[in-house]
Amino acid sequence: MRTRFLTLVVCGTLVGCGGREGPASGALTGGTMVISVPADAATIFPPHVFEQVGIAVRDQLYDRLADISDSLNTIGDKGFTPRLADRWEWAHDSLSVAFHINPRARWHDGQPVRASDVRFSYRLFTDPKVGSSVSPEISTIDSVSVRDSLTAVVWFKPKRPEAFYDFVYQVYILPEHVLKEIPSDQLRTSDVTRKGIGSGRFRLARWDAGRRLELVADTGNYRGRAKLDRVVWSVVPDAGAALAQLLGGQGDFLEFVPPDQVKLVDSSKADRSVPYPNLQYAWLGFNLVDNKNAARPHPIFGDVRVRRAISMALDRRAMLQNVFGSVGRISYGPFPRSISFADTTLRLLPYDVNAAKALLDSAGWREPSPGAVRERNRLPLRFTLSAPTSSRPRVAYAVLIQEQLRRVGIQVDLDQLQMNAFGERMNKRTFDAMLIGESTDPSPSGYKQQWGSAGIPPAGQNWTGYTNATYDALVDSAVATSDKSQQRALMRRAFQLQIDDAPAVWLYDVPTIAGIQRRIHPMSLRPDGWSFTLADWTIPPNERIDRDRIGVAGATP
Amino acid sequence: MRPPIPVSAPAERLAASSVASSVTTMPLVLDAPLRRARITSALWWSLALIALLCLVALLAPVLAPYSPNEQLDIVALKNQAPSVAHPLGTDQYSRDLLSRMLFGARISLSVAMLAVLLAATVGTAYGLVAGYLGGRADAIMMRLLDACLAIPRVLLLVAVLALWSPVPLISLILVIGLTGWFEVSRLVRAEVLSVMKREYVVAARALGTPGPRIIWRHILPNVLTPVLVAATLGVGNVIILEAGLSYLGIGARAPTASWGSIFFDGSDAFQATWWIALFPGLAIIVTVVAFNTFGAALRDALDPHQLAGGNAR
Amino acid sequence: MRRYLVTRLAQSVIVVLLVTTISFFLIRLAPGDPFSFVGDINMSATARDQLRAQYGYNKPVLEQFALFVANVARGRLGYSQSMHRNVGEVIADVLPRTLLLMSVALLLSFTIGIVVGAVQAVRRGSWFDRSLSGVLLLFYSIPDFWLALMALLALGYWLPIFPAGGMIDQVVHDYMSLGGRIRDIAAHLVLPSLTLALLSAAGIARYQRDTLLEILPQDFVRTARAKGLGERAVILKHALRNALLPVITLLGLSLPTLVGGAFFIEKVFAWPGMGYVAANAIASRDYDLVTGSVIVGGIMVTLGSLLADLLYAAADPRLRTR
Repeated sequence: MRTRFLTLVVCGTLVGCGGREGPASGALTGGTMVISVPADAATIFPPHVFEQVGIAVRDQLYDRLADISDSLNTIGDKGFTPRLADRWEWAHDSLSVAFHINPRARWHDGQPVRASDVRFSYRLFTDPKVGSSVSPEISTIDSVSVRDSLTAVVWFKPKRPEAFYDFVYQVYILPEHVLKEIPSDQLRTSDVTRKGIGSGRFRLARWDAGRRLELVADTGNYRGRAKLDRVVWSVVPDAGAALAQLLGGQGDFLEFVPPDQVKLVDSSKADRSVPYPNLQYAWLGFNLVDNKNAARPHPIFGDVRVRRAISMALDRRAMLQNVFGSVGRISYGPFPRSISFADTTLRLLPYDVNAAKALLDSAGWREPSPGAVRERNRLPLRFTLSAPTSSRPRVAYAVLIQEQLRRVGIQVDLDQLQMNAFGERMNKRTFDAMLIGESTDPSPSGYKQQWGSAGIPPAGQNWTGYTNATYDALVDSAVATSDKSQQRALMRRAFQLQIDDAPAVWLYDVPTIAGIQRRIHPMSLRPDGWSFTLADWTIPPNERIDRDRIGVAGATP
Repeated sequence: MRPPIPVSAPAERLAASSVASSVTTMPLVLDAPLRRARITSALWWSLALIALLCLVALLAPVLAPYSPNEQLDIVALKNQAPSVAHPLGTDQYSRDLLSRMLFGARISLSVAMLAVLLAATVGTAYGLVAGYLGGRADAIMMRLLDACLAIPRVLLLVAVLALWSPVPLISLILVIGLTGWFEVSRLVRAEVLSVMKREYVVAARALGTPGPRIIWRHILPNVLTPVLVAATLGVGNVIILEAGLSYLGIGARAPTASWGSIFFDGSDAFQATWWIALFPGLAIIVTVVAFNTFGAALRDALDPHQLAGGNAR
Repeated sequence: MRRYLVTRLAQSVIVVLLVTTISFFLIRLAPGDPFSFVGDINMSATARDQLRAQYGYNKPVLEQFALFVANVARGRLGYSQSMHRNVGEVIADVLPRTLLLMSVALLLSFTIGIVVGAVQAVRRGSWFDRSLSGVLLLFYSIPDFWLALMALLALGYWLPIFPAGGMIDQVVHDYMSLGGRIRDIAAHLVLPSLTLALLSAAGIARYQRDTLLEILPQDFVRTARAKGLGERAVILKHALRNALLPVITLLGLSLPTLVGGAFFIEKVFAWPGMGYVAANAIASRDYDLVTGSVIVGGIMVTLGSLLADLLYAAADPRLRTR
């Protein structure tokens, strides 16, 4: 009822009502897509981007030199396709690559893109004062030099089969002329980094912090204008309201449809659900060191028997069914199944409550009376489990885990924390156990950061403090090899070791199911980011509604 | 002695009046016996209701069919609509909602009552001291009170609780209690000022009776009635406040059931699970109505100045 | 009167200063700071320290307070880390939205309250009066967020007559004509303002009824009655007019309740006003913005009680002479 009312209003009052498109634009271009998101982008500046919305916006505004293939190969340049660089040549010793910048490429302010921008961008991404989180990942790069105004040469360190990927995947090319005046330690708070001047097929039209962010097609783009006229990220904090907007037609795209609402979306005439792969997996992580003194082992979790017992006391399948219903996907180990070296045949700890109890008994944690909290040397088997309030699935898991562990005599106190407090505990390692959902890199090198001893905070994201020299060596070898099957074999051994050491309980692959209006015709949704192909999504003219007819010109009032 | 500067005179009028009393206060046309009967009946039914609620809370372990946190079958019994086996349905963790409501009554009622008790104690003490001392001390204390009253309480509570979260229940009670006494002390002070003018107090002071003794013997008994009324009415408010904070996820800590936290647990799927939204809300409304009615009836019954239909002034 | 006004104004300024101080310390003394976790778990400790230093969070709290006071004295409320703008600008943006919601709600609640109160006074003692009282008591006892959620569920989702939150249609609003924009805002305003109004109408109706019943036995009303005017005319023409002023002083006193109520209402309906922005600021530990919101809330409450006192003084000649 309300939709119809609004429709009438819009049609009667729109400026132009679609008549403004230039003659050059084909019949397929045009349309407005509205993406409902729970929170605004924190930043869209590539060296600092870290959350979903920022990532999606960044990928429209900025370009890489080349793009990874859908199969996410990270070794050599196999499968990579041209972006800002229209071609590249390897040196004979394979230690450098000369990238030729597309001569037609322009920044959104009209200036041409030059090779010096590549060098500038590399410096920004590695500058400790800029503080980009990807700087450790491009440590395989030796340097970047400028051969001529359109040719940049990237020099690799020896024996780094993934160095090409490291550079083109992590380093977004930024405009030197716009950014060079700003001291690098002030980029985080500078207004210029919020203007979004890049070379992508969309440009930033407006950004009302906390409410909405609007992109319009860059009509003169060297890779062709985006098919859609406009993409609007609309902040709708309440999940129910966001879903209602999708069903009611005010929203076109919802990145995460809650698992129990998927049926509702599919039953609607105008919408459909589209599952897409991702690289996120969620686990219950134990702090292996004392949270007051990192030099000592954790009084409870320092013992591998307790960790294994907890793992066996948890009914992972029932919890998955409770939280995700039919869309849930169980973890096969410390990785998401969409990663190229995933292995679904690893030996996980079984769900066996009696074995868990026996293991706790043998570790010295005994029940003083039946049903009471277990104790060892008068110390109760009690710990705090933290989950971020922003993640409903993890909050639910926390409640379920608490009850399942109570049944084997372990007392769990729940801390539902706001995301910032949650992150602070991770960083300072002042937690006992945490429910963590993390995205991995397509490459094994990410495992050095997340589980290797080199990644122990503050250096990396090895929150549990897992250290195993054999594991480190296996991952190192996997990173160094240029043979895909050997890489898989090495990672398989590393994963099995990690599962047996049980620094965490592997819970689930984060299911990502988007809700999309049927009039939107998407391209493939890639596991490392659904939005990479956004500039080629279309809304056919015969399916357009009023907001699709605003046009590019109308979008910048 | 110069009369103290009037502090928001209408506020005192408002404090004396209350919405709740409209149920019992009968207009002039009614004769006194009929009015008295109405007050008495309101007093009794609301008191009975409160007693019943307290009894239910106390007997929760006996009455509840299940343990409040027991997850019965997280796959098969998730989000079950009300049925014979589960009269109020189950929640997303397959916990019996009736059991959680019964145990939730304990938390909701005890948090509210303890917080109000704290507020009433602090507020009475502050009001007594300010009113008794009078003069400049009184003026300063009242300015400070004005400042406290001007703090947007909800905003501050949310900020403090969220920034310090998660807080134990006792801190929740402390924070709510310590931000809730301002109105009471204003009320007490006004009452003290009027009592101080009475002859026996003036006489006692002239005879050199020590201050604390005057406060204890002569003033306190006189201010207890308005405090009792204000406190009863306050319980209703705090129940609503606690529910609101729990709804934001910063009240009672999971898995503890309070009426507000039951609401919070179900808040992402209300469209599908109406029972989780409905029952805690109804419980809160019934309880608050009971306390408000009782408070108003109590005042009407105890207050000798109360003229038919008018305000206590 | 002038002296009273000056005293009262001075008092209000002191009250606002005290509110500022109290809220500053309560917020700053909480564990953590805006940079302990800027959402980015990968940000290095050095980068965090750098930001802390840039915004003065590395200094002792007392020094921070001195800095804060100095800034506020120069009209600067600080910088909002989450909105990337000055707090003053943010508040200038969102305060009018809250004021719009509150003034519409006030208008509605006073209309409802005065009408209901008058009707009750006319039919005092009847079953009608008593059942209205019961309904008012019920509304007075409903948790604000619960009423808002139920309204949203019923009229936003199940029977989608009204938009399910927000203040405008974020996508097409800017491309509408003026009339279209006004209609857009009005449609979004209905549910939140009505919810807020219903919650506070109860108090006003009760007060109106009591005031009327107090005035009715007075001489001028008796005279009017003696002149043979009907009961309805007596109440409407004479008593109501005299009873309105005290009720209007309630306006200022409703503000604290409204500021608190608006917080939950804005949260539930995603109305992008002060309460909504404050909730977001709290979630992201945006201390300057949280402090700023509490101060603005305090100023609104103080202004409200000042207004109430002035109106009351204007109505009551005994106070004026003091």
